[in-house]
Amino acid sequence: MAAPEVLESDLPSAVALLKNLQEQVMAVTAQVQALTKKVRAGAYLTEKGLSLLEVKDQLLLMYLMDLSHLILEKASGGSLQGHAAVLRLVEIRTVLEKLRPLDQKLKYQIDKLVKTAVTGSLSENDPLRFKPHPSNMMSKLSSEDEEEVEAEEGQSGASGKKSANGTVKKYVPPRLVPVHYDETEAEREKKRLDRAKRRALSSSVIRELKEQYSDAPEEIRDARHPHVTRQSQEDQHRINYEESMMVRLSVSKREKGRRKRANVMSSQLHSLTHFSDISALTGGTPHLDEDQNPIKKRKKIPKNSRKKKGFRRRR
Amino acid sequence: MNDTLTIWTKKFMTNRSLQWKQMVMDVLHPGKAMVPETEIWEKLAKMYKVTPDVTFLFGFRTHFSGGKTIGFGMIYDSLDYTKENEPKHRLARHGLYEKKETSRKQQKELKNRMKKARGLQRPMLCCQKERLQIHR
Repeated sequence: MAAPEVLESDLPSAVALLKNLQEQVMAVTAQVQALTKKVRAGAYLTEKGLSLLEVKDQLLLMYLMDLSHLILEKASGGSLQGHAAVLRLVEIRTVLEKLRPLDQKLKYQIDKLVKTAVTGSLSENDPLRFKPHPSNMMSKLSSEDEEEVEAEEGQSGASGKKSANGTVKKYVPPRLVPVHYDETEAEREKKRLDRAKRRALSSSVIRELKEQYSDAPEEIRDARHPHVTRQSQEDQHRINYEESMMVRLSVSKREKGRRKRANVMSSQLHSLTHFSDISALTGGTPHLDEDQNPIKKRKKIPKNSRKKKGFRRRR
Repeated sequence: MNDTLTIWTKKFMTNRSLQWKQMVMDVLHPGKAMVPETEIWEKLAKMYKVTPDVTFLFGFRTHFSGGKTIGFGMIYDSLDYTKENEPKHRLARHGLYEKKETSRKQQKELKNRMKKARGLQRPMLCCQKERLQIHR
């Protein structure tokens, strides 16, 4: 009933609009044709590539256009199945996601630019203002030593400090010449004392004192004598080697002695009454209990005792 | 006393190129010092369904106070491969190889005599030695 009247009133405006549409379409075609001609002629230089921001701009715009097209389709009741716009959307989305790491890398510079654009100019002490000054790396003073130069080269160039050395010196390689061995009696004595001190520090008396005064929680371990654990580790290593290579290794006299001593040590109540010598720390004279063996000096052993290639032997 | 003999095998590996299977064996013989090798052969052969003459054992070490022995074992695919690949002293234990019992001193004397001879006289020396032996 109201439809013919609506149609009547709308008719002239519709005609006018359609004519307008036609003119506009013709104008748009002309422009697009001109553009394509220009692009084909190479008027737009792309040898340096497009800037990332421009690309992102264009991609986002295209995304929006396709999205709105799809919304229109759906609103007018069409199906989106296999629609070309969906594929385009997917493509643009993938490209945008792949651009994201590049974005991350440029984040610092973009932030700086935006800040300058917003605030006008940066303050004097703003760390964003500094950039590396390679000219400051060169040596200007001649009297300082090289350590300072290395320390400054290690710093980031953000502070732009002046470096130490003077004029560029010629590089002299370090000389690796054999030096005469001149250990005097005093030095030897000192070394011996140092070693005795280290040994005394790891003795049971000192260890118990440490445990008493330290704040660390008390550890309860399967406490065997350190020599015994060392020997058992070596035995285990030997057994592993023998089983994997399917050979039997011979045991030297020294090895046998060590093993016997380790067994004896674990079975006797040896460590109950005999404490190791801590005279190196207390400053007294080294003394031995009556039933302990005297300290023997180690004999020099010939070097070619490594007969078996695969198995590491301790001399 | 139980007469049990248990064999555990570890680190079993098949060597295709030398046609043998090798393993580490844990032999448990509670209450005894050590079992004879023949028993272990038979047991192993039964376990792997082969004849005892292709099983070879070596490197047995008994733990302190008895009861357990650890050694190595090899099982060959066939007797021919055994004759090819197994070291002679182990073949001798099975009776498949006889070592020549030459006197060491005689060998060295012959060698020294040959050092003095030159050219074709050397084989003459060898034959001379045999001639001397026949005479005696």
